[in-house]
Amino acid sequence: MAAIWAFWKSDTWGGRSWAFMVFLSIMVLHSLAILLFTRGFLLTRTELSQYSQCSDVFESPCFPPYDQNVNNSNRARGCWTKPAVGRLVIILLDALRFDFVAPSTFYAVKKPWMDKLQVIHELASKHPSTARIFKAIADPPTTSLQRLKGLTTGGLPTFIDVGNSFGAPAIVEDNLIHQLVQNGKRVVMMGDDTWLQLFPHHFNVSYPFPSFNVKDLHTVDDGCIKNLLPTLYKEDWDVLIAHFLGVDHAGHIFGVDSSPMIEKLEQYNEILKKVVEVLESQSSPGDLHENTMLLVMGDHGQTLNGDHGGGSAEEVETSIFALSLKKPPTSAPAAFDNSTCQLDMQGRRICFSSIQQLDFAVTVSALLGLPFPFGSIGHVNSELFALAAGTWSLEKLAIHDRQSLSELDEWMQNYVNVLCINSWQVKKYIDVYSSLSLIGFSDKDLLHVSELYAQAQELWSLTSESSVVHENESSFTLPAVKRQLEAYSAFLASVASLARSNWTEFNLKLMGIGFCIMLFSLVLHAFSIKRLDNLCGHHSPSCGNSRNSFGMIFACIAVLTRACSFLSNSYILEEGRVASFLLATTAMLQLRCAIMKKMMLLEALLFVFLLPFLRISIELAQLKQAVSSLFLKMDPLRTPGINEDSQFWMSITQFVPILALVIVGYLLYKSIGCYSCHGILKYVIVGSLSNFMLIAIYWACNSDLLNLPMVLRGLKGNLIPRIIYAVGVVQVSFLSIVLLLVRETTVNLKESTVIKVLAVLSTWSSTIIVLSGKQGPLAVLALLIGGWCIIRLMRLEQNTENKYSGSSHFYALPVTQWSLLAVCMFFSTGHWCAFDGLRYAAAFIGFDEFNLIRQAILLTIDTFGFSHIFPIFGLPFLVACYYPLRQNKRLFSMQLCQVYLMYGLITAVSVTFTILCVTIQRRHLMVWGLFAPKFVFDVVGLVLADVMICLSSLYYIV
Amino acid sequence: MEEKKKKQQSINPLETKNDPVLCISPAKVLVLHLICGLGLASGFWAAHYFYSINLVSNPAETLRLIWIVEASVVILLYSLFRLNPDKCSYSRAVVGALLGLPAGAIVNALGAIVLGAPVGLQHFRKTVHWSLLMSVFTLVPAASVFGSSWTDWHRIFAQTKPIGPVDYMICLPAHGAVIGAWFGAWPMPLDWERSWQYGTSQLWQSIVRSASRISNTNQSWGRSEELS
Repeated sequence: MAAIWAFWKSDTWGGRSWAFMVFLSIMVLHSLAILLFTRGFLLTRTELSQYSQCSDVFESPCFPPYDQNVNNSNRARGCWTKPAVGRLVIILLDALRFDFVAPSTFYAVKKPWMDKLQVIHELASKHPSTARIFKAIADPPTTSLQRLKGLTTGGLPTFIDVGNSFGAPAIVEDNLIHQLVQNGKRVVMMGDDTWLQLFPHHFNVSYPFPSFNVKDLHTVDDGCIKNLLPTLYKEDWDVLIAHFLGVDHAGHIFGVDSSPMIEKLEQYNEILKKVVEVLESQSSPGDLHENTMLLVMGDHGQTLNGDHGGGSAEEVETSIFALSLKKPPTSAPAAFDNSTCQLDMQGRRICFSSIQQLDFAVTVSALLGLPFPFGSIGHVNSELFALAAGTWSLEKLAIHDRQSLSELDEWMQNYVNVLCINSWQVKKYIDVYSSLSLIGFSDKDLLHVSELYAQAQELWSLTSESSVVHENESSFTLPAVKRQLEAYSAFLASVASLARSNWTEFNLKLMGIGFCIMLFSLVLHAFSIKRLDNLCGHHSPSCGNSRNSFGMIFACIAVLTRACSFLSNSYILEEGRVASFLLATTAMLQLRCAIMKKMMLLEALLFVFLLPFLRISIELAQLKQAVSSLFLKMDPLRTPGINEDSQFWMSITQFVPILALVIVGYLLYKSIGCYSCHGILKYVIVGSLSNFMLIAIYWACNSDLLNLPMVLRGLKGNLIPRIIYAVGVVQVSFLSIVLLLVRETTVNLKESTVIKVLAVLSTWSSTIIVLSGKQGPLAVLALLIGGWCIIRLMRLEQNTENKYSGSSHFYALPVTQWSLLAVCMFFSTGHWCAFDGLRYAAAFIGFDEFNLIRQAILLTIDTFGFSHIFPIFGLPFLVACYYPLRQNKRLFSMQLCQVYLMYGLITAVSVTFTILCVTIQRRHLMVWGLFAPKFVFDVVGLVLADVMICLSSLYYIV
Repeated sequence: MEEKKKKQQSINPLETKNDPVLCISPAKVLVLHLICGLGLASGFWAAHYFYSINLVSNPAETLRLIWIVEASVVILLYSLFRLNPDKCSYSRAVVGALLGLPAGAIVNALGAIVLGAPVGLQHFRKTVHWSLLMSVFTLVPAASVFGSSWTDWHRIFAQTKPIGPVDYMICLPAHGAVIGAWFGAWPMPLDWERSWQYGTSQLWQSIVRSASRISNTNQSWGRSEELS
C-alpha cells in the first residue's frame, strides 16, 4: 500500500523497483480478496477414511447391547444396538416434494398435484403407531449425488470433499451401505445408476438403469417396477433399495403443475399399493416380512419449475414415510410425540413429524443394529426409532420378567443407551476430524461442544452408577432419564449446528469483504494506468493525447461484454467461442481498417483466417467435454466429421505436429541469427532448439508408423521428457543469473528486450510442448502467428502524422486482443473450466509414479501454459516491436509497465465478474457443477497471472 | 473541429458534381425502401402461406425463398439508380448485380465462418442461403449501382464515407444488416433450447435494417428540406 501511495504522490517514474512494488501490492490485494471470498464461499470438508467397527462400542461408556464376554459369534443380536428391524425396503422417489405426500388440508389451497399418494394417507391414518409421515429436511446442496452421499454417510457433503478419490465419485467415507455389507447384510439395488457409481462393489444384486437422459420419464421407473415386486417375494436379501426417477425428470421437463407429473404420482400410488399388499400379506409371525420396515422417501424436493440444488424451503423439504410391519402390543411412548395432526379430505386424522435428513443414516443403523457410520453427525430420531419400539420391549420383558418396569421406562432406557452411543460416536468423529483436517472447527466452538459432552457424560456416570448399585430394582427414574436425554440432545444439536455453519452456510460477510477488496483493487489498477498515462505525457508530449480512440472504446466494450457474459451459465459453457467471436470481431474491424488505409492487408487477412482454426479446435474440445458434462449439450454434427481411423488421417496426425515443431524451431533459429545476442541468452535459446529435437525424437519413438531401429527403442520411456524438464530448469536458472549479474550495457533497448523475451519463451516452450502432446507445436504456431498479426496490425492505429503514440489508448486494443487470444488458446488446447477438463495424462509424461507436488506443478504448467505463461511473458513484444530506436529508457519502461497493468486489469475485471456471478448464483442449480469450477479456475489463473506479471516486471523493466 | 472540417470536405464534391441522378427526392427513397421492405415481407408471407415453412422449422428452404424474392426486387430497383446511366445500360447493371450476388455471398459466408458459423457439410445449405440473403442486403445494391468501380466500393464499405443520398441508400442498410446479424448471434449460446434462437439473427438483422432505413429516409428528407 505504501508503495502505491508513494507512487501516487511522486511525479516521477520510480523505475523497476517501483513498478515491482505496484505489481506486488496489486497481487497482495488480489490474494487477500480471493482468500477471504474463498473462505466464505468454498466450503471444504475433509473426508476421513476411518470406519466404525463392531467392537468399537466397548470403548464407549455406554451399555453394550450384549455382554463382551458372552460369545460374539451371535451376530443376529446386533452390533452397537439391538436390531429392531430385520429387513428394510427403501423406495426412493427422486425429488419428492413434501406436499406430494402430506394431505392437502395442511395447505391453504389444494393444488392439482396434492393428495395423489392416497395409499400413504390411508396407512398413516389407520395405523398411527406403526406408520408415520415425516417431513424430512435436507441440507443444501440439494442435488441427487450430494443427497445420496448425505443420506448414506450421515454427514454434510460440501463442494470440495477433500479426499482420496480425485475425480471418481465413489464414496470412500464410512457409510450405511458399507456397514450393511460389513455386517453381512445383503443389499439389492434397482433404479438410478448413480448408486453404482457411488458404491461400485457393494450390492449383491443390482438392476441399474441409465439416469442420464432427463427427457426419458419411464426407463428407470419401468425397470424398477419390473424387478421390484418379484424381488419382494425372494429371501436372498436384507435391504432393498429402489430408486425411482420419474418425478424428478417430469419436474425438470414439464414442471410440477403438469399432467405428466400427476400421471407419475398416480403410477407411484399404484406401485406403493401393490408393495404394501405384498408386504402385509407376508407379515404374520414366521413369514418373510414379519419384521420388515418400509421406507418411502425423497432425496430432496423441487421448486414448481422442477429445479433443485439450492436451499429454498421447497427444495429442502422432502418426505419420509415409514411403515413397520410388526404390530407392537402397545403404542409408542407419547412423551416424544411432536407431531402435527390434521383431518384430511375424507375426515381421517393424519399426523406428521419432522426429521432431519442428517439423522437418517444413524437412525437406520440403530434400527438395524449396525455400527453408526464413522462420519455421521446425526441424532437417532426418537419417532422413527419408536415405530419399531414394541419389538424389543417384548423381548426384554420376557427375559427379565419384571412387572415393575413399565414399558415406557424400558423404551426410555434403551433409547438413552442408544443416544449415549450416538453421542460418543459423534464426539469421537469431531475429535478425530479436528485433529486430522486442514481447516477444522474453531477452538471456541470445539470447547463449547466438549463442555456439553462432559456435562452429559457426568450425568450419565451418575445414572449408570445408580443403576449398577440398584441392580435389582428399577434402574432409571423417569425424570433422571429425561434430563439425560435432554443433555444428549443438546450436545448433538450443537454439533449439528456447528457442522452446518461450517459446511453448508455461505459466510456472506467474508464474501462481501472479499468482493469489496477486489473492487478496490480494480479502482487502484485503473488509477495506476491513468497515472502512468499522465507521467508518460510529461515525458513525451506526443503521447499525452487523450482522444478517446475507437480502439479504446471497442476494447472496453469487448472486455465488459465478456465479463458480463459470465453472469449466465450458458455463456460460461461457451466461453471459448464467445472469446473467439469477440476476437474475430476485432479482427474483422481491423481488416476493414486495413482495406481503408491500404496497408497491412496480408497480416489482417492472415489473422482473420487463423481464427476459424482456433474456433474449430475449441469446438472439438467441447465435444470431448459434452461426453462427461451434464450441462453442455453439443451437437456432434456441428464439427466436420473426420474419420479418425483412416490410415491417411493417422499419418497426418503423426506428421503435422513434427512439421510444426520444425517450423517453430526454424523461426527461433532465424531469430537468433537476426539479433546479435550475447553469451548466456544465446546458449539458453540453443538449449531450447536441442530440446525441440529431443521432442521430435520422442514422438517419433512413440509412434507406431515408423519401424525404428533397436537403438532408438530405448528412448521410448521416460528419459527424454525428464531431460527436457531438467534442461528447462537449467535454462530458468541461467535466466535468473542473467537477471542478477549482468547489468544492461547495451544501447539498443529494443533488441535486448526482444532477445530476453525470446529466451524466456523458448525456455518454457519445450516443457509446454512436451506436456501438451501432439497439439503443442500447432498451438505454439497458432499463438506465434496470432501474436505476430496483432503486433503488425498495431501500425493501423498509429497516428497518421506517424508520430509515436504511447498512451494507454494506443495499447488498449492490442492488449485486449492479446488477452482474448490467450483465452482462446486455453480452450482450443483442449481445456475447459471444470475438474474433468484438467488433462491428468499430462501430469504423468515422464513419470510413472505419483508425487503430489511434482505432478501438480506439471499439471499447472500444462493447464495454464498457453493461456498464461506464453502470453504474459511475451507481452513486451507489443512494446518492443514498436519502440523506435534511440528513445529514452524511461519511456520504454513506462510503456512496458503500462502494458502489464492493462493486461492485469483485463484479467482482474473478468475475475471480478466471475466472483460477482458466483455470489449472485450461489443457490443456483448449477453452482457446484459449473460456477464453482469456473471460479476456481479463474481465481487460480488470476493469482498465477499476478505472480508472472511481478516476475516479468523484475525481469524486463530496466 | 477536425471532424467538422472533414464533413464539409465530404459534402463539397456533391455540390460540385451536381449530378442529376445523385439528387433523388426523399419520396423516391421512401418508396424504394418500402418496396424492399415489402419484398422481404412478401418473402416471409409466401413461405408461410404457400409452403407453410418458417425460419425455425426449415431454415434453408425459407432463406432460399426469401433471398430469391428479395434479390429480384433489390436488383431491379437498385439498377434504376445506377451511377452513370449514359455509359451503363439497365440490363448491364442487372447483370453486374447478378454477378455480384455469389461474390458477395462468398464474402459473407467467410465472414460468418470467421465469426463462428459451423463448418460442415450438413450445415452447408443453410450457410449458402444465409450468405446469399446477406449478399442481397449488403453487396448487391452496391453492385447494381456502382458496377465494378473500386473507388466507390472502397468509399462505402471501407471508409464509410457516403456522399449523397444514393450512397446513404446503399451504405446504411448494408451496415445495418451486418450489425444486426452480429447482434443476432448473441442469444445463440443461451440454453433455453428454443429453436428460434438460431433464427434471431435474421430478426435482429431486419430490425436494425429497418431502423437504418427509417433513419436514411429521415435524413434524405431533412436534406431535401435544407436544399429547398
